[in-house]
Amino acid sequence: MPADKSSPPARSLSLDTWAVIVALALALAVKFGALKSVPW
Amino acid sequence: MATSTSIAHVESESPLRHALGIVPGVLLLAAIGYAGKFLEHFFNTYAKSHHWTFPNIEYVLWAIIIGLLISNTVGVAKVFQAGVATYEFWLKLGIVLLGARFVLADVLKLGGISLALVVIEITVSLALMTFLGRLFKLKPKLISLLAIGSSICGVSAIIAAKGAIDADDEDASFAMAAILALGALALFTFPAIAHGLHMNDVSYGLWAGLGVDNTAEATAAGALYSDAAGKVAVLAKTARNAFIGFVVLAYAIYWAGQGKAEAVTNKAAFLWRKFPKFILGFLFMSLLVGFHAFSKDQVASLGNLSKWAFLLTFAGVGLGTNFRVMSRQGLRPFIVGALGEVLIAGLTLGLVVGTNRIWGL
Repeated sequence: MPADKSSPPARSLSLDTWAVIVALALALAVKFGALKSVPW
Repeated sequence: MATSTSIAHVESESPLRHALGIVPGVLLLAAIGYAGKFLEHFFNTYAKSHHWTFPNIEYVLWAIIIGLLISNTVGVAKVFQAGVATYEFWLKLGIVLLGARFVLADVLKLGGISLALVVIEITVSLALMTFLGRLFKLKPKLISLLAIGSSICGVSAIIAAKGAIDADDEDASFAMAAILALGALALFTFPAIAHGLHMNDVSYGLWAGLGVDNTAEATAAGALYSDAAGKVAVLAKTARNAFIGFVVLAYAIYWAGQGKAEAVTNKAAFLWRKFPKFILGFLFMSLLVGFHAFSKDQVASLGNLSKWAFLLTFAGVGLGTNFRVMSRQGLRPFIVGALGEVLIAGLTLGLVVGTNRIWGL
């Protein structure tokens, strides 16, 4: 159906994959100093 | 369920509208989580300054209680529902980041013990739930869903299995309601029993990871005992989750053999599709730390980020639990679930205590 074809491919990424991508992005931010010392 | 409604609703929206749509709910999760943290600090300081003996109630429990109160009194308004449903994402993000706090050797050692216990737990749980389901004359596919949900990882496993064995929505809702209700009860009973038995952090963490079905509740049950127990609970639960594909595949093949589900043509692709990928992220993060990719302070920062992600999860656990909705699902699946869960909790407790006595955890 046309409606299906118009769905952006990024939406097909699973929740798991998003979690891994965001975690790696945060890890890089911590590694390269964009996020310095996250408090709790 | 609120989750499926909101997902179905956002399918037709633009990505920007979808992103904006989750903001109120995520803010609500953050507000409740932070309130939990504030209340823990406030009561501790107040009790100390007035020389009171007041039990330390962790932020985890406060966040869950506030969420439960909102969900079961005023309810979660529609504007918040899409954002609240993201608590599964925060859970998985927290688990991947938690990988940074594990040295790979620990993962292999504890993970090895967990895996051995998980195999026993899964085998016995599947057999037990199938027996109880037949005894109470539940529908065969509902029995399969309850068995999968209680042996592996609660709601995710039930959702994964639902499509694979062509189960009804109603059966899946029954099974999820039973697993979630029992998970909520475990939050209060597991730590109390463990304190009564003076369990150490590792033993308790293993027990929570093996005995509590839904990943969010298992993580919360572990964190309620101690930070160290929370880490071990996540590891044990992750080891359990790794089996999801194999068990669902076995059930899919069984039901296809009965002519009541579609045949599985490519088993390797099926396993990969059902495998929880966040486990790979968790292991990768642990591997990076093992190779000294991060300094000590950076590892602490990643650990704290993981705690913030879990904070949103715990608020979501409370908000996502509505006892009125669960009670509408009927009593029999709940009785079967409750009986099975009590027996499984007893069995896993015995396994962990036995392992601790023999090998020393």
